[in-house]
Amino acid sequence: MWIRGVMTGSGKICLLTGASHGLGLALAQELVARGYQVLGTGRRPHAELPADFPDCAYLPVDLTQADAAPRIAAWCARQVAGPLPLAILNAGAGRYRPLSDETAAEMAEVLQINFDANVQLAQALHPKLQGGTLGLIGSVAHKGAAGMPVYAASKGALDGFGRALAEEWRGTVRVRVLHPGPVATGMSERAGRPRDMIDSLFLSPRAVAMTLLDRLNSTRGPDRQVVSFAQVGGHMLWRKLAGGAGR
Amino acid sequence: MNVLLTGAASGLGAALLRACIARGDSVCVIDIDARPPNLPDTVTWLQHDLSDTDPALWDRIADAIAQQDPFDLTVLCAGISATGPFETISAHAHQQVSRINLHAPMRLCLILQQRGALAQGGRLVFVASLSCFTGYPGAASYGASKDGLAAFARSLRRPMRRAGVAVQLLCPGPMDTPHATRYAPKGARADRRIAPQTVAQMVLDAPRARFVLVPGAGAKLAALLGRLAPAMMTRIMGRVLFAKLKDQPR
Repeated sequence: MWIRGVMTGSGKICLLTGASHGLGLALAQELVARGYQVLGTGRRPHAELPADFPDCAYLPVDLTQADAAPRIAAWCARQVAGPLPLAILNAGAGRYRPLSDETAAEMAEVLQINFDANVQLAQALHPKLQGGTLGLIGSVAHKGAAGMPVYAASKGALDGFGRALAEEWRGTVRVRVLHPGPVATGMSERAGRPRDMIDSLFLSPRAVAMTLLDRLNSTRGPDRQVVSFAQVGGHMLWRKLAGGAGR
Repeated sequence: MNVLLTGAASGLGAALLRACIARGDSVCVIDIDARPPNLPDTVTWLQHDLSDTDPALWDRIADAIAQQDPFDLTVLCAGISATGPFETISAHAHQQVSRINLHAPMRLCLILQQRGALAQGGRLVFVASLSCFTGYPGAASYGASKDGLAAFARSLRRPMRRAGVAVQLLCPGPMDTPHATRYAPKGARADRRIAPQTVAQMVLDAPRARFVLVPGAGAKLAALLGRLAPAMMTRIMGRVLFAKLKDQPR
């Protein structure tokens, strides 16, 4: 519930970065549908939010800016009086192209958005996250991908970061690194991969978002999880069956 | 043979530099420290802070690299760490780790590739860490930077092979170097660590076809266990290493 513009009490509050598009947008919609108060951030200004953006608080912030993490943490503190039970660091950028086509500036930007900014955010949010869950959204490319070396490096780093942090924070903040993909968000197309038959095989953002949220809310399961075809397919089938059984 | 080394002022880089000089290579070094005295003329020393983001400085390094003959062997050794509970380490320290261990080697690769500075039939060696197999609670940003480097190396392996360059990933355990001594928990025994000279020789002798290089029997065993049971190894690292780092005054 809202008291003088400050959220309190419900326990279903979630900070979500990269909420304005793609998988983040699907996560925001799914969170709101599940009754969460969502604090979304994204690079787009308010006026350019998509028509289906859900009814939730939104802070336009560019994660390549040095003050992004403290700004988001301060905004969170203003919006949420008590602890923050869930933060999903989902914002990501990347291009599908070989190293020879990269530029130093764009390479640094992808590393900053996908990795460094999340390190900074984890540190800035640490006091408020006590007793809560930190979800880091990686990618199936984190083990290496010949077509996108810089993106793979950034997600590999995020995986190693979450792996260490999950162990360090065990018992205080639950850390999960979830590696979805490939998701039909248009990122690979914007990233320069030609649109082809393969795209029709990509996972739907909504199904992935639902699976990710259930994985984040579960106290069981390993710190690092791949959320790809088998996991999403199995999860959606399970939901359907459980729903059919009169849930 | 033409060799490029980063971080050759100390530790593994210095051991590699000595071994390369001894076998008559010409060596180009990039290091934050100034050129030490008494180096032979076959060594070119470029003093450069890899954490500096100033594009003009990087252009200077790129131009200096382009003036050299293509490198038959490149070993990117330069690295730092930051140990302790993640949230107690300054944001600046985490950023330095990321810049020096991850951003800089990636940027150097971009320069080497775009300037045609990697010789056909040569090798490009990234220095990661045994932590790629075990996780590294107590050095979260360091472990992250090395995992990022490993993913980068894996991604480059196939495209580089087509260009005649073998990409390799060196994953050493703790070495008897100033770096390891600085970041190990107090009371850790240095004599159990592998000598940097041994690792350097292993890098120089490594067959081209091998991608992951893990020097020493103890590290090989840890890497194997990490492959078989990654979550368990991270828990053990947490119990054995992080618990000590957490409790010691810094």
